[in-house]
Amino acid sequence: MLAELGNFALVIALMMSMLLAIYPMWGAYKNHAQMMALAKPLAIGLFVFTLFAYIVLTRAFIENDFSLAYVAHHSNSLLPWYYRVTAVWGGHEGSFLLWVLIFSLWTVAVALFSRAIPIQMVARVLAVLGLVAMGFYLFILLASNPFDRLLPFYPVDGRDLNPLLQDFGMIIHPPMLYMGYVGFSVAFAFAIAALISGKLDSTWARWSRPWTIAAWCFLTVGIALGSWWAYYELGWGGWWFWDPSENAAFMPWLVGTALMHSLAVTEKRKVFKSWTVLLAISAFSMSLLGTFLIRSGILVSVHAFATDPTRGLFILGILAVTVGGSLLLYALRAPQLKSTGRYELFSREVLLIGNNVLLTAATIVVFLGTLLPLVHKELGLGSISIGAPFFNQMFVFLIVPFVFLMGLGPLSRWKRQSPTALVRQLLIAFGISLSAAVLVIFSYDQAAYMAALGMTLSFWILLTTLQEVMQRIEGNKGELSVVAKLRALTPSHWGMVLGHVGFAVTLIGITLVSNYEQESDVRMSTGDSINIGGYDFVFNGVEELKGPNYGGHVGLVDVFEDGDFVSALAAEKRFYPVQRTTMTEAGIDSGLTRDLFVALGERLDNGDWALRIYVKPFVNWIWAGAFIMGIGGIFSIADRRYRMAKVAKFKSLTSNGKTIEPATEAN
Amino acid sequence: MKKVLIFLLPLGFFVLVALFLFQGLFSDPRARDSSLVNKPLPDFNLPDLMQPQVEYTPEVFKGQVSLLNVWGVWCITCAIELPYLTELSDNGVRIVGLYYDQDTDPDFGTKTVGTIQQEVNAKLGQLGNPYAFNIFDTYRDYSLDLGVTGAPETFLIDKKGVIRMHHIGDVNPRVWKNKIGPVYQRLMSE
Repeated sequence: MLAELGNFALVIALMMSMLLAIYPMWGAYKNHAQMMALAKPLAIGLFVFTLFAYIVLTRAFIENDFSLAYVAHHSNSLLPWYYRVTAVWGGHEGSFLLWVLIFSLWTVAVALFSRAIPIQMVARVLAVLGLVAMGFYLFILLASNPFDRLLPFYPVDGRDLNPLLQDFGMIIHPPMLYMGYVGFSVAFAFAIAALISGKLDSTWARWSRPWTIAAWCFLTVGIALGSWWAYYELGWGGWWFWDPSENAAFMPWLVGTALMHSLAVTEKRKVFKSWTVLLAISAFSMSLLGTFLIRSGILVSVHAFATDPTRGLFILGILAVTVGGSLLLYALRAPQLKSTGRYELFSREVLLIGNNVLLTAATIVVFLGTLLPLVHKELGLGSISIGAPFFNQMFVFLIVPFVFLMGLGPLSRWKRQSPTALVRQLLIAFGISLSAAVLVIFSYDQAAYMAALGMTLSFWILLTTLQEVMQRIEGNKGELSVVAKLRALTPSHWGMVLGHVGFAVTLIGITLVSNYEQESDVRMSTGDSINIGGYDFVFNGVEELKGPNYGGHVGLVDVFEDGDFVSALAAEKRFYPVQRTTMTEAGIDSGLTRDLFVALGERLDNGDWALRIYVKPFVNWIWAGAFIMGIGGIFSIADRRYRMAKVAKFKSLTSNGKTIEPATEAN
Repeated sequence: MKKVLIFLLPLGFFVLVALFLFQGLFSDPRARDSSLVNKPLPDFNLPDLMQPQVEYTPEVFKGQVSLLNVWGVWCITCAIELPYLTELSDNGVRIVGLYYDQDTDPDFGTKTVGTIQQEVNAKLGQLGNPYAFNIFDTYRDYSLDLGVTGAPETFLIDKKGVIRMHHIGDVNPRVWKNKIGPVYQRLMSE
């Protein structure tokens, strides 16, 4: 009965999205206040009814209602309660419900936190969101309804959740990732609303900046969590596989990063307007494309959802209408956009757009690499797999100019920068980063050119960022202490600093783990010991393992360094009887400078065990960097300039309508 | 007018992509015949992946029906088919691997034979080892001779060393039951 109510709630939500798509838009066109005022209650209704449906499905999981097909396929009575709650997004239908729930959450957030934005703009933005939502609610009701019943013959027990997903990383990874994915819909809606209204001054850029940064934060953290999960759960010791579903999340991130920076230029300097609008459309289009690629089963991927051409066709239809429609609108309106600001060839504007171009190039590389197998197939050239070597090589080419500009950009001025004024600073930064990189490389046994390159790039970012902060402090002529001057920097400036530092930290992790990781497959009997990377791994045999819904073995390994005990690792090999799958749960000792990683392999004929042992230097820095980037984003959003009510008041107070730039400007 | 055309470019690009995606939804990804079918295997003289001192020629295919499976650890689809291939080899099907790695390319390569052996062992240890042995396509030229466009691809070879079927894409229970299996049974009784 409750499930039917959930279904009904989704139908009501669909109708609300239809009303939301029509009335506020019409009202904005006719300048009809009541119709525009409908936007807010409709957005709230959309969220409330979707939330209700979501809670109903969660309840069905907790109470093991196996008469629901979705529950029967993705849960089991032996599953612990917390995995039953997360099993809601363990399959296609439920994860799509989470998708629309998060979509409605963003919609309601825009409705509630946009009091300072003119009502016409808010009405249009919400109407665009309603229009997009309509497609997705139709999709969930017609092609992937999580409330379908298995009546009258329902199973006594469910088929269990995929063991890969029974993990803490999986509890938080999808919601974070979806928050990011779906969050770009807000920037998209602002851009479309601005295109519709024809008022393409830079105000829309200011309004959509905090939303874009928020979505970007979630996406950054979501991707990092996914990579972390792959690292310790898949048992291959890798952290990025260039798998289509990873690429599907990475493309919006690349475009989103470009958008975030382009919005800053458009807001501050009123240039590159049409480019920014195109990026806003592209970021959300990439999210939609990712959804399509993963859910249509068009690409073979290790964690794609079940294949079904009708579903794929439906999402492709949504994609065609949303993306095609908005690009058509763009083609019609963009030629009228005039950039008013002026700038010279060597200026912060040009450096930022340079990085935008490189980010776009990176997106195209990932896009082609992901879709080329498909295109290849369609052109009659057979199926192929494009492997990591292609992506790795392309990204090495792209990252060198990217990082160079990343260091240069913040140091330069808007409008015009004299190159000679920067030469000394840059030479110092380059000299120090090169020497630091060489020193780091020499502390390892063998030299590798790639490691030297990666470390030089990382130090380059760190040093230029430091120089930039110092430049700001020196620029502050007040008679203040250094600490006070540091405090005078705006939160959004700190956001930029943290974002760039986080990137450098990630780059350090990637460089060192790719070049200096040590790996060994060994055969060990109880009591054996092996030395890898300066650590002695002693195998203490294997014990039986008994979990709530699995059994298996656990291999015990003690690690010593120069005879001193470091850690006791437990590498598990679990067998999940319901799904008849074996899972590796690696034993990992995490540290700031290295991870020790042991995975249990097969039992060999004479009772020995195969073990895979890795020593991974600085691998945690990869994810730590992503979290620092996320914190940087939070700082940026916290900037006072975005508490829009105040900005609006301030604006109305200045009679000539000019906004006064903050004393220390930043992006 | 010229300016409008530039702004139409993104739309044009999107339409092109959408068309490919649409076609991709409905195409049978695995149909397509090789020109090599019913011809003997092209000549080769290549080392074993694990013991490079051992060399193979087409002679190793004489006298037994075999599957020649082209693969690499870098290929995701290959990882998906490995468990099923292992099941087949457990049931007595002789499967020979033709291994190729982009990273051993003399111009771009970063890997040594040793690292590749390690990677292969790790992969096979985890997903199952269906292979009687692996031929190492050192310079990837033999894959070209076979008309391989990617990985995975599988050739069914009869007792005389003649290619009888070329399958592009992964081998799964459905493909085995409907396509490869029947021909395999016939060749076994020949």
